[in-house]
Amino acid sequence: MMPVSAFRIFFQTGAWMILAFLVLPLLVVIPVSLTDTSYIGLPKEHLSMQHYVNYFSDTEWLHATWSSIWIGLVVASCAAVLGTAFAIGCWFLSDRASAIARWILITPILVPPVVQSLGFYRFWVQLGLIDTSLGVILAHTLLALPYVSISVFAALVNLDRNIPRAARSLGASVWQTVLAVVVPAAKPGILTGFVFAFIVSFDEIVGVLFITVRRVTTLPKKIWEGIQDNIDPTIAAVATLLVLLTLLITAITALRRTS
Amino acid sequence: MSTPILSIRQGIKRYGSVHALDDVTLDVADGEFLTLLGPSGSGKTTLLSAIAGFIRLDEGSISLRSKDITKQPPEARDFGMVFQGYALFPTMTVAENVAFPLKVRKRPAKEIADRVAECLDLVQMGAFADRLPIQLSGGQQQRVALARALSFHPQVLLLDEPLSALDKKLRADLQWELKALHDRLGVTFIYVTHDQEEALSMSDRIVILKDGKIQQEGAPGDLYNKPRNAFVADFLGKSNFIDVTVTGREGDVLSCAADGAKFEVEAETPVEVGTKTKVALRPERLRLGAPGEEFLSAKVKQVSYLGERCQVIVTHDSLGELLLSCATWKTGITPKPDLPVSIGWDKDACVVLAPE
Repeated sequence: MMPVSAFRIFFQTGAWMILAFLVLPLLVVIPVSLTDTSYIGLPKEHLSMQHYVNYFSDTEWLHATWSSIWIGLVVASCAAVLGTAFAIGCWFLSDRASAIARWILITPILVPPVVQSLGFYRFWVQLGLIDTSLGVILAHTLLALPYVSISVFAALVNLDRNIPRAARSLGASVWQTVLAVVVPAAKPGILTGFVFAFIVSFDEIVGVLFITVRRVTTLPKKIWEGIQDNIDPTIAAVATLLVLLTLLITAITALRRTS
Repeated sequence: MSTPILSIRQGIKRYGSVHALDDVTLDVADGEFLTLLGPSGSGKTTLLSAIAGFIRLDEGSISLRSKDITKQPPEARDFGMVFQGYALFPTMTVAENVAFPLKVRKRPAKEIADRVAECLDLVQMGAFADRLPIQLSGGQQQRVALARALSFHPQVLLLDEPLSALDKKLRADLQWELKALHDRLGVTFIYVTHDQEEALSMSDRIVILKDGKIQQEGAPGDLYNKPRNAFVADFLGKSNFIDVTVTGREGDVLSCAADGAKFEVEAETPVEVGTKTKVALRPERLRLGAPGEEFLSAKVKQVSYLGERCQVIVTHDSLGELLLSCATWKTGITPKPDLPVSIGWDKDACVVLAPE
């Protein structure tokens, strides 16, 4: 057997420790979600599914989940359409003009969420959008837009600049060129952007806390309130379900990519 | 020339203070293989883009069969175009690419299928109909691009350096194929290149551009043998340039004097006695002989063996270095560095150049 160098042991140990640091806090919610106690903590006497039952039978939890899902889907659709249009438009511009436009677009990522949410709040008050689903959708679309554009930019970066010219010379109008040639080439980027936009909206809490009161409750807001009002282990059950769902989706995409 | 298929009149295109096209007037005959030749920045691609409709001329007009198309968008012009980077649609198969112009024109499905098969056979790509462009080699992609540009029976086919991304051997093969395709289809080709060999081997007519201006146009042989100015003489093939003073004239024959050398030149255009001018001399028109055999004595400086030909740089005391090219299989003497030789040429070998 080859002697294992100290160098190698050091880096392997380091790598495993970092992995544990990243994953263990996620995994700790699993035993907590199965606790038989009525507060957040590890199981005392036996494992219990009571908090899962509670989640699936509580209309407030289900309603919040459903709100997050449908708002996320609407946001992802709006952001996908607008972000793709923006990215394709930039692709047709000169390099300089497109660089400026792209910097302006990604500012929502650069501004701290609290500052941004304050902006939404003040503006939404004037527009009468406080505590409405439309208000949340608009705010989330703004936040998700850069993610779609960035992934569409990435999909278009290797597309030959002469391709639209080729399409035009072959008889296609500008619209036909965009729809038949550029959009299909951007499709992988649009799909990635759609998923990102959904996650951004599904995950977003700061903005929601600022611009909603009673009528609109999303899943992150419900979890937040759950932690503040009572330390209900249902939160851990929800978190576990989300982790499992994420793993499932990741596994499916990974498998589809290898096949 | 009969009625031209395409006419450009006083075309001007400016980018800032630079004239990309400077007063270009050009007629293209129906069925012609016309090449726009020039170094980078000469305006050849700008001219092709203006013909295709991708850029609008600042001044001047373009007409197709006597109909003004200066302001028409590219899709209304009905010109096929082939690009250097192939520009195939990456998400469509080979057959879908070729069908694209026909689908846009809303032709019946049956007709599209027949025409796609016909065009793919034309470029020997029939077996690849269901592949994606990424699965093809560069040469194959360019054949598909050619089939796509021809599928809708374009009025004119525009080719923007279509072979320059390919390797040398493939380029030579495709040159023969392009020429054969042109002769078979009778479609007008307008071909842009910076490669003088490509231009010479395929074209019916070559237009040489520099700084947005047409320098000279004509059949390849005419341009090669009778370059109008030093730029053309140097860009198309190689030339030696000699500054001379015209000392006498008898009919078409001029007596010329350069530093330390006197020789005769046949000139088609009249040149006044006493004029100082420049003459061009092709390397292959120079003869190499043993000392005293020809009229100028010189010395070999460097030899480069190229297989069927060999290039020799000789130095003459006052004319300086001259490039000479001779067939390797019939030289009387074997040139090698420092060998004293003599050089000479026929009086129809020199071309009197106009100032640029």
